[in-house]
Parts: sequence; C-alpha cells; structure tokens
Amino acid sequence: MIETITLSPGVTLRGVRDSRFKQGAFSIQLIRPMCDAEAAQNALLPAVLLRGTRRCPDLRSITRQLDDLYGASLSPLVRRIGDCQTTGLYGSFMDDRFALPGDRVLERITAFAREVLLDSPLEEGGFLPEFVEGEKENLISAIESEQNDKRAYSMGKLLEAMCRGDSFGIPRLGRPEQVEAIDAGSLRAHYEKILLESSVEIFYVGSAPVEKAAECFRQLLAGLPGNRAALPAQLPLKPGAKSDLTEVQDVAQGHLCMGFASPITNRDPAFPAMQVLCTLYGGGMTSKLFQNLRERQSLCYSVSSGYYGAKGIMTVYAGIDPATEDAAREEISHQLALCRAGEITPGELTAAREAIVSSLRAVHDSPGAIEGYYATAALSGMGLTPGEYARAVNAVTAEEAAAAARSLEMHTTYFLKGECQ
Amino acid sequence: MNAYPYPELDETLYRETLECGLAVSVVPKKGFTKKLCYLAVNYGSVHDHFELEGREYRTPAGAAHYLEHKLFDMPDGRDITGEFARLGASVNAFTSYDMTAYYFSCTEHFEENLQLLLDFVYTPYFTEETVEKERGIIDQEIGMNLDSPDSVVFEELTRSLYAAHPIRNPILGTRESIREITPDTLHLIHRAFYTPANMMLCVLGDVEPEAVAALARARLGTENRPTARKLGPPEEAGPIPRSLTRKTMEVPMPTFCAAWRAAPLGRGESAIRQELAAELAAEALFGESSELYLRLYEEGLIDSSFGGGFETLDGCAMLLCSGDSRDPLAVAEAVQAQAEKLLREGIPREDFLRMKRSSLGRRIRALDSFDSTCFRLCAYRFSDFDYFRFPECLASLTAQEALGLLAKTCAPENRAVSIIDPKP
Repeated sequence: MIETITLSPGVTLRGVRDSRFKQGAFSIQLIRPMCDAEAAQNALLPAVLLRGTRRCPDLRSITRQLDDLYGASLSPLVRRIGDCQTTGLYGSFMDDRFALPGDRVLERITAFAREVLLDSPLEEGGFLPEFVEGEKENLISAIESEQNDKRAYSMGKLLEAMCRGDSFGIPRLGRPEQVEAIDAGSLRAHYEKILLESSVEIFYVGSAPVEKAAECFRQLLAGLPGNRAALPAQLPLKPGAKSDLTEVQDVAQGHLCMGFASPITNRDPAFPAMQVLCTLYGGGMTSKLFQNLRERQSLCYSVSSGYYGAKGIMTVYAGIDPATEDAAREEISHQLALCRAGEITPGELTAAREAIVSSLRAVHDSPGAIEGYYATAALSGMGLTPGEYARAVNAVTAEEAAAAARSLEMHTTYFLKGECQ
Repeated sequence: MNAYPYPELDETLYRETLECGLAVSVVPKKGFTKKLCYLAVNYGSVHDHFELEGREYRTPAGAAHYLEHKLFDMPDGRDITGEFARLGASVNAFTSYDMTAYYFSCTEHFEENLQLLLDFVYTPYFTEETVEKERGIIDQEIGMNLDSPDSVVFEELTRSLYAAHPIRNPILGTRESIREITPDTLHLIHRAFYTPANMMLCVLGDVEPEAVAALARARLGTENRPTARKLGPPEEAGPIPRSLTRKTMEVPMPTFCAAWRAAPLGRGESAIRQELAAELAAEALFGESSELYLRLYEEGLIDSSFGGGFETLDGCAMLLCSGDSRDPLAVAEAVQAQAEKLLREGIPREDFLRMKRSSLGRRIRALDSFDSTCFRLCAYRFSDFDYFRFPECLASLTAQEALGLLAKTCAPENRAVSIIDPKP
C-alpha cells in the first residue's frame, strides 16, 4: 500500500493513499549526517523559514494563511534517526471533502510549503537578521528548558555519557554555544548548500492518489536540480567509557537511569527478539520491572525500559525515593538476570508479543503514525512493513528473548537526586 | 440504539441510555483496526463533598485518584492487567479534576476486553494491606509532580484564583492528605459515584453498536442505583485570594501561568456556546494570528512555548495563558491592555470568520484521534451536550458573544499570575 516515486535523483516521495481520515499529512525532510558541526544549524533552519516569506512577511500573516486553509498546520521538523539528522517541515491539513466546494487543500498547502522553503526574504544574501536572532534565542531556551522535565533530562545525560564518541551523543538540537555562533549569512549559506546536496525524503498520506501528490511535490522542488548524496549509512554504536554518575539538584524525587549496550540493532534479524525482551522486561504494566519494582515492592510510580534500535542501547528509568537507590538498582539487575536465565513465563511472552503486534496493527489507523513509521523506517535501515514486522515478532520464542537479554552489557548509570538526600 | 448521523463530520453516533442508567455511545469506524473503549465516571478530584443516603461526607484530597489506582485490584489475586495484555489490549486510567476514566485499546478480542473492563470497574476490592502498599507508589507520583514546573505553576495559580473551590487541591492530593485514605474511603466513593447512571461507556472503532449495549446490559442488569448528590463546590463570589505568587525551582527561565477568573458556565448548550465563544475570544486576544502574539514574539517576551485558552469545570472557569518568558508580568499586563483594546475596537468581521473556519478545521482534524474524540464525547456528555454538534454551534457564534465573555472576565481584579523563577 506504500508507493515510492523518485521525483528526481535523490528526491524520493513515499506515499500512502487512504481516504478514511479527516486530514492529510506530509513531511519534507532534508537528510544530513548527524554531526557536531551542523546539528545546531539544522535545528534552527525550519524555525527561521517559518518566520516569514516575501509575500507573508511575519508570523501573523503566516498564521492567517494557515487559518484560511481551514486551520492547517505547518511546523518545523527536526529528527534524529540513528546517525542521521533530518531538517524540514511537517504539514497536516483538513481533507477536501470537508472544505468549501471546489477548494483543493493539498495543492494550496504544498504551494505554501514551497513558498516557506524557497521564498524567504533576504538581506545582503543572508536571512533577515531579526528572524535569525529571535529564533536563536528561542532555540537556546528550548534546549535549556529540557531540564524542566527531570526524567527527560536524566535520560539525556545518560545517553550523552554512554555515547561519547558516537553521533548518538551529539545533542539533537545542538548546544547553546553552537546556536549562539550562528549568524544570518552563515545560516543562509548552509541552507543553500544542503538544499542542493542532501537527499530529500518526502512523505505523504491522505485521500489523493499518490501520483497527484507527486505532481504537487514535483512543483515544490522544480528548479532545484542539485547533486544529491546517497542516504548516509547507519553505523553500530561506538560507546564511550563506562561510568557511574550522580548529580545533585533541588529535586523532590530521585531519577535513576541505567544504560545497557548490545550489538543487536534494528538491522539485525534478532531485533524482533530484542524488542520482545525489552517489552516483557520493562515495557508496560505487565512487565517484570513494573510488576516487581512498583507492584510488589512499592519502590516507584514510574518504571520502564526502552530500546534505541538504531544503536543497540537499552535504557531503564525509575523515579524513586533516593533512600531506596540500592534496592532499586538491585531489583533492576535481578530482573534482567532472570531474563538472561530464561525465566520468562508463557504469559509474559504472549503479553509482550501481543503489545507490540497490536501497536503495529494500529499504525495504519492514524496519519501521524503512518508518517512516523514509514518516514523513519526508510532512513533507519529497518526495511519491514508493519505487517512483516508483526509476523517476525509473533515468531519470537522465550529462548530467543533470553538470548537477546544475554547480549546486553551493563554500561553506564546516571542518578539525579535532591540536595538533602 | 438510536443512530444520529452527522454528515458534515462524516460520522454516525449511536446512543442509548440503558435501564440501569448507563449512557452508551458508539462511533463505528469502518475499516479501522484499533478499537478504543472508555468507561468514564462523572466524578473527579473536586467532588470531595457530597451527600449519600441522607448523610454528608467529605473525603481527603487525592481520594478520587487513589481509588483509580486501587480499582485495578481484584479478589483472589486475579491479575486484570495481565488478562488484558494476553488479549493484546492495553488498559489504563486517569483522574482529572472532574472525571475519572478507565479505558482500553485493542485490535482484536474487543468483546472479551469490554467484559474485563466492566468486570473490574464494577468490582470494588480493597484491603488494608493493598491500600497501604499503594501509598509508596503515589508518594513517588506526587514527587514527580513536585519536580514538574508546569504542574507546580498551575497548582499555585488555582490557589491564587480560588479561596474555597477544591480545584485548590492537587488531583493527586498531598503526601499528608493521602495518609487519611482507607479502604472505607474508597468503598464509600465507589458506592457514591460509580453508579451506572453517573457513568458513560464510549466506544470508537469498527464494532457493532448493538453488541456493545447488549454486553453492558447483561453485565449491569436493570437496577438504577441512586448516585450521591454533589455538594458544592461553593460559588466564589469574593475577590481572588492573591494576584501574584512566585516560587523558585531549577528552571533556566521563568515559567508562568496568568489567568482571569470567569463566572462558571453551568451545563448544556448555552454553556458550550459560551465555551466556544471564550476560546475564540482567547484566539483573538493572544492566539498565533493575533496582533499581540506577533508583537510579544518579535519583542522576545514570549516564545513557541506560549499558549492558552479557556478552561472550565464544575463551579469554575478561567481564561488563561502560559509559557516561558523573561518577564511574565509584562506579558500579563500586555494581555490585559490588549483585552481592553479589543473591547474598544471590536473584532473585524473577516478576522472572526477566518478564526471560526480555522477552529472548525482543527476540530474536524482532531476527530482522527480516537483518544481525544472519546474523551470529548464523555466530557461534553457529562455537561449535557453532544460534542458532535460543534459545527452548528460554531457556525452561529457571533463576535459579540466572544467579546461579551471577554468583557465579563478580563478585569484586572479577576487576574492572578503564578511564576516559577530560576533559583538564584
């Protein structure tokens, strides 16, 4: 059901035609290698583009355009997908069948996206300095605000320590001092360069035939021949040195994060087994971590594990009373040891497989989930459709899940706790 | 069940109230794999004062939420989440100020899952030991909220705007108040509010509406048990208790919430009209297409974290905006001044039409989300309104209605600002 059309060399449209939804969605992503030198610029770019065009010179006129398009939205899209960073736009818009007779929302919103991407007001060859300076301030504030969510902050610290030396350790939005160093001229020069040399991934989901969407997006990129690079390769994790870190802040709760490394990435045939393992270990209310740390020992409200398939990293998070740190660490390790030893009940295995398969089945039920799955799968090297993937998950045995557990090596812990704790 | 078609939304809603009083709504979604089912209770953290069988009761802050946690326990060690999981369903629940809801989503075995949902929500089973054990877990959940600037800034705001309304208490309660909760408290609340007549079963997905009603009917029988009478919340007539509250936390930039206390809206169609009017007023005042948003954004006083709208629940309502800012008081003052300007100059007709068109489009798009649609169908039903009627309501709204709400609400004496400053 997914159609792939090469619009021009290096520019790929992937589309799903589906008329069940009340809205359509698209993403336009320029694909970059994740690197320290340009992470901040790529993160800043779409916000600057969305500040205004020559025809719509400020935010208010941009919003009015979108209001006229039945409250459509066009927003910055900056993703990390393994060793790639993507920068571009995400649009969603009401389906034509609810619009005024004869109105064509897809044509109008893609034309507007073209204007945003290619018709910025310029000054001395650069972007408008006031747009760039304003958005720099916003981006720095967004980066700094990540510490408002203590869980996300702690997880970020864990990954940064674990992946020192790997692109995965580079902050997705860059560092404040890198943002600070950008100016209107250098950002424009960077944009002109990446517009011509990056491979471009466009994704569309909606009621129009994919060929119709292709016409709209061809016009969007017409006149941009370029000499585009192939998609960057995904590489295995180059881990940093192992460490055991503790940070003290004024917090009410302790945030314990543990990171494990494994050679199994989402390109590996054993990946479905790893995902089943991770789900039965810490993936939901029936998982070993939830049932034991929370339900049996009342050590926490929130406990879970997650897996970064691009790199082969499993993380565990628990929000705990710092007085129980040792007990929590011990139980987290003990439950993993049980998995390694193959102590996985048929109920645990079924629940984990069913949870993953259900969410894969539901991928096709929302435009956002469809875009999220296909637009990232193509880049991460994971070539399976949700259906193929679900079949692989259903075939995973307890022994395969245990083998996946045995491939995990304890790497780094990060613990954030309060001043008097 | 009765079918109510909404061609302008491309949906049909099936609705029936069963003999036992349970309201059942089903929106069949042909061709979709996912099914979502809510069993919602018209009861939340603010309903802490009520009368049941001739006696008056007050319950500790956090009791509604505590019950939500403990309702998953079943007699004989039956593991209800495990049973859902083996059927491929994920089950969860939430408690808000005025609603408690238990829900599952699944792609297969819908009827078995529905049976499980009805089973556990209507089986109160609490022991001293299990209620005691939960305290450690909820303590950690409270700790998580105490570390969240967004929660703290809003909770401080509610205490500034209201002198007596229980919205002043956190939904989770406090570490002290939850110590007063016992199995008896939970049994009492379950008996008082978890009556079919005070609840709604709402399903979205490719299911047979009649089958949903039949299953609920078979499980619940015909007895229509009386629901407790909610007492209060008290009408807030006096001045707001505090116009400014400041706290410090580990934040990089001040974060704030500014609100104007509005008169409670009541129920039914007129309340919903006022709510939609108030949302459009908020849009005209400080929405992204407003003159004010552009100015504050360009001056660097707000960033993309800024947003706002109109919030309403039993006995309270407020127009609010929030976000990060280096000078929150300047933002609050600017909104105040802009409200006065808007009231003097009015909203140009074409601007108002554009805002209505945008609001309609965004609401139609939001119907693609099963979760938000299910939630809204329940929340609006509890306010005696059918959510799918929003297009006709929006179509007939006038700028005068929006401005009228603004005029009643946006007075400086109704305003409170809550700020979290960075630690020095």
